[in-house]
Amino acid sequence: MLKHTVKKIALTAAFLLGSTSVFAEVVVIVHPSNSASIDAKSTQRIFLGKEKKFSTGKEAIPINQAAGTASRNSFDNDTLGRNSAQVSAYWSKLVFTGKGIPPKEVADDAEVIAMVAANPDAIGYVDSGSVTASVKAIALN
Amino acid sequence: MNNFSKTVVLLTSLGFAAATNAEVRINGFANLVGGITSSDDALYGYDDSFSFKSESSFALQVSADINDKMTATGQIIARGEDDYDAEFEWAYFTFNATDHVSISAGRLRLPLFKYSASRDVGYSYHWVNTPRAVYAVPFNNLDGVRVDYANYAGDWEYNLQLAVGTFSGDNDLGDVEGKNVIVGTAEVQKDWFKARVVTGRGKTTIDADAVSNIINALAQISPELANDLDLRDDSGLFLGVGLEADFYDWFISGEFTSINAEDSFSPEDKAFYITAGLRFGAFTPSVTYEKLDGRGEIRFLDKVAALPVAFQPAATAAVVGLQQAVADEYEVLTLGVRYDYDTNIALKADISSYTSDIDDSLDSGLLRFAVNYIF
Repeated sequence: MLKHTVKKIALTAAFLLGSTSVFAEVVVIVHPSNSASIDAKSTQRIFLGKEKKFSTGKEAIPINQAAGTASRNSFDNDTLGRNSAQVSAYWSKLVFTGKGIPPKEVADDAEVIAMVAANPDAIGYVDSGSVTASVKAIALN
Repeated sequence: MNNFSKTVVLLTSLGFAAATNAEVRINGFANLVGGITSSDDALYGYDDSFSFKSESSFALQVSADINDKMTATGQIIARGEDDYDAEFEWAYFTFNATDHVSISAGRLRLPLFKYSASRDVGYSYHWVNTPRAVYAVPFNNLDGVRVDYANYAGDWEYNLQLAVGTFSGDNDLGDVEGKNVIVGTAEVQKDWFKARVVTGRGKTTIDADAVSNIINALAQISPELANDLDLRDDSGLFLGVGLEADFYDWFISGEFTSINAEDSFSPEDKAFYITAGLRFGAFTPSVTYEKLDGRGEIRFLDKVAALPVAFQPAATAAVVGLQQAVADEYEVLTLGVRYDYDTNIALKADISSYTSDIDDSLDSGLLRFAVNYIF
């Protein structure tokens, strides 16, 4: 019994370490018509609900990816500077005080690209290998 | 009204408010917290048989956008300590005047502490529960108006909050009420550093039979002294400072607070906690030390001495007795661990050692487990 438990914990730990160490190289994408200046700091503020507009003064609509995807893991850790659970805890503080609504989540890179290509106000992030000509890509690092 | 009909009212009223335009969001959280104390001891509502009652809670929140600028939010919470009898914790309207300014009106949380707003949402912090030495105050919710201002300058982000209104709550003694309450909060943040200061005041009243009996008896000797000793429409002052350094791999933070109603039997409560933790992947082990010093100096002895000698023994018994009865001083050391099972579920365990500086027989150990869920 005890041995089984220990083995399970070891497996869980391995799974967790494994799942968070798979990082992709993500780039921020916006609509081709978006001329705002965008860097890591402004991206972070937009995705944490601290800034609601682009530097051009236009409304910014962040598009997030589902938790657990490689792009999301990489974005949370590298750009937001915290893991996905911490990001989720951060939003729970705002949601339950009526101070903010977390960005919409979509399933994968293709969906983010489709939404950003269709909306001049949208901002998302995808793996650099997924970028197509229908969006403008901005490398943060 | 039973829980079900309350929920239906919440959903339908918000639903109607939003029927014309809008997005309705339903969120919720659940905290299943179980604990057991060392044998023959009691702490935070737990005793030496395992129970979930004291700190478990379930909540449902509905918010609806009435238009571009206005949101209606209602939160119903069922707490184990109240036999899971559901209550409207919050119900308020928010008007987003600009990108930086929002005004909320209704029943809302007083921004006294760093985790005031999300105190009930276990998922939002690393503890099983917020440290009681600091957070257990009888005035968490305000019926009134709160103005929030958030902006940044360079790398500094800052938040200002001003809240005015009334509160009502209860503590170990009885009902506590506050009128003409005004609370101001300022928070700044830059990279790993975060600081906050808060100050508030209000006309505070404690209604408790045990207190009234003593006050009424004392009034027979000296109405003036009875009035001094009583806590009735007396000015209460709240001060708080919070600091945090979060380097991702590890963090340390603390809050220091003082609550004082000078013209009353209620002694100044000075409290603080310091907490530090490490982040190893999904694990966050932490240590927290908290202390409440609610002893203060015995007040009004000069006024007792000014009374006719024949009255002094009885007056002393009332004045000193009441102040000593409510004095408290204790410290708690807690070791805990949080495990992020998922981005909406956290598992936690902690073990606390409570030491009373007033009465050794209150010393206790407590072991707790928690599952925090948000949706």
